[in-house]
Amino acid sequence: MMDLFPNAWTIARREFTQRVRTKTFLIVTLVLALVGLGFGLLPVIGKLIIGDQVTTIAVHSDDAELQSSTVAALRLILNASDEGATYDITAADDAAAAEAQVRSGDLDGLLTVTRGADDELSFDALTDAGPTDQRLFAVRQAATQVNIGDRLQRAGVDPAEAGSIFAPTEFGVTRTNPESPNIEEDFGANYVMAYALVILTFMAVITYGTWVASSVAEEKSSRVMELLITAASPRQLLAGKVLGTGAAGLLQYVAVAGAAVVGFLLQGLLATALFGEGGSTGLENLDLSVLLPWGIFFVGGFMLYAILYAGLGSMASRQEDIQQVTGPMIFVGMGGYFAAFVAMSMPDAGWAKILSVIPFFSPYMLPMRMLLSNVAPWEWTLGALLMVLFLAGALWLAARVYSAGVLLYGQRANLRSAWRAVRVAR
Amino acid sequence: MSLVIEGISKSFGVVQALDDVSFAVEPGRIFGLLGANGAGKTTCMRIVLDILRADAGRVTWQGKLNTDLPRDTWGYLPEERGLYTRMKVMEVLRFFAELYGVSEADATREVEDWLERFRIPEYRDRKVEELSKGNQQKIQFIAAILHDPDVLIMDEPFTGLDPVNVQLLKEAFLEMRDRGKTLIFSTHQMETVEELCEAIAIIDRGRVVVDGALRDVKRAMGRQVVRLATDGDGHGVEWIDGLDGISITARRADFVELRVPSGTDPQLVLTAALQRGEHVTRFEIGEPSLEEIFIEHVGRPAADEEERHLAASSRGDGKEAPR
Repeated sequence: MMDLFPNAWTIARREFTQRVRTKTFLIVTLVLALVGLGFGLLPVIGKLIIGDQVTTIAVHSDDAELQSSTVAALRLILNASDEGATYDITAADDAAAAEAQVRSGDLDGLLTVTRGADDELSFDALTDAGPTDQRLFAVRQAATQVNIGDRLQRAGVDPAEAGSIFAPTEFGVTRTNPESPNIEEDFGANYVMAYALVILTFMAVITYGTWVASSVAEEKSSRVMELLITAASPRQLLAGKVLGTGAAGLLQYVAVAGAAVVGFLLQGLLATALFGEGGSTGLENLDLSVLLPWGIFFVGGFMLYAILYAGLGSMASRQEDIQQVTGPMIFVGMGGYFAAFVAMSMPDAGWAKILSVIPFFSPYMLPMRMLLSNVAPWEWTLGALLMVLFLAGALWLAARVYSAGVLLYGQRANLRSAWRAVRVAR
Repeated sequence: MSLVIEGISKSFGVVQALDDVSFAVEPGRIFGLLGANGAGKTTCMRIVLDILRADAGRVTWQGKLNTDLPRDTWGYLPEERGLYTRMKVMEVLRFFAELYGVSEADATREVEDWLERFRIPEYRDRKVEELSKGNQQKIQFIAAILHDPDVLIMDEPFTGLDPVNVQLLKEAFLEMRDRGKTLIFSTHQMETVEELCEAIAIIDRGRVVVDGALRDVKRAMGRQVVRLATDGDGHGVEWIDGLDGISITARRADFVELRVPSGTDPQLVLTAALQRGEHVTRFEIGEPSLEEIFIEHVGRPAADEEERHLAASSRGDGKEAPR
């Protein structure tokens, strides 16, 4: 490994400075940083946009008493949540007039309540809300509650007692591992964090992997490659390229993530300024201790993918070939991404544990599992050990593809030709 | 001790690029590697440089295997020129020098020296892409020699250069040779080889058809060339064709070139001409030109007219890559 330097360092420095110096890099980084800032502020922005949205619903029933009791009940139930959305429930004595109002768009909906021959309540909503409209779900659930309340009343339960029937059950959980992060109050924040880390990892692997591949292909098509491989070994070239591109990518990432963090920090202040006290978005409980292990596996995973991207990139003679030859890498990267999402709801499943030590997937799985469950020390160790082994193996494999691939022009660039290159390489 | 290439063979799939190629290059000399396009010159150079591995055979320099030699033994000017075009001339050259472990100060001094020699000192801080093709090629040459390599390997170094730059590059070759370097270059321009090289190898379809000192190669042809001019101005010289195996190989504006097989005295031509009462204005006995030697061994010229035209007008992807 020691023969990698100083040449890998020379190559990495050239790669980094040449990339960072371009206008494209500067502009893209600035735009992405703005997006990051916006992302950080999203909860506040969202609250600002939909916060004062009022849904107007008219309730009609031929039974005046039923009409007024339903209005009262719906008002209570629908506005109970602190989600921000508010419902304005009114009684509509004139069904035809209310219907016309709904059709003209003055009202969001008309809910007609009827008591059938068997005393059961039935509801009928008139609205143009689409099938995925959350408000329709909310109204439907509220209607069910009204109906259950009505049934209890008919069964002779005192309306005062009916409330306590819906009270949540007391359910305590004592964890065998007191260090477990899986504490209910932190859970929402950890979930958000796990999502964010999985997405960040995926984007880095795909974006910067493609950078490395196209940078190799560019050196090949500009023919500077032949000079490079006489001056440095394929392993030095690969390592330098991955380090240099990785550093540039990391710089961009830090800029974007930094902007997002600034957004997060600012939003507390903004929320207080805009909505007064209690404008919390529930993200104050973020567990930042995961960032170090994630960082380590992120860098390891990035290098693993990038090395293979570089090897495959050397098979492409033109930019157009890159997509084709790096396809399998995107496939593996997406596999890890989706596996991590599925595993979020079952972080301790056997397959999730196995995947979380396998280097192509560990950068996604281990930090996610750390946030949502427990990762034993031996899992960290095994994951890190395998990562180092895979990195060395990938460097060896990619160097072989590379030393043969860079001299091949004008042939099909795909996995089969890459494999042939591995076998014939020096 | 010299650079010795012993029995190297290389095939790419079904294509046999090199077949049992052997030749030796004396140190401190300029050596020409001749062959038509696709003959195997580039593959041969890449194997010497150890960026390709031969299927069989070995390459040694001063008794050491090329696979064991440090990279800075070699300087390489590939046929397909390529530099980082968006970098400045000095930056690019320093980068390659650094890969060979040359200090920044040494690299800077050498670069400035060579830019001066090539009469382009003002391009020091210009981007490579702003330079003409010919000037980029000079930069490429500098990149190949900055680390002071013992052996300089150049693939078609003169292709695409105008006469002034060809002359500058020839002077640079001689300068390097005077510094004790060994130079090997491939070409299909025979005149340049006659001017610069002490020894050659001709490669045809992956085989060495002839190699050795240029003088010996010419002598080994075992025949001579007679250039004859008479008052007849090249008319009515058909009588020569009847003489002992002598044939007319070229009719020039004011003389004819004759090929005289070994064992035949060239004086025979003169005697016959005088006997016929011709008025001889020129009679010259010489060695065959390299071009003739090449045609003799390979069966066709190194570059036909079309290829020469292409080589001069564009530097595209003309070269067949190994498959």
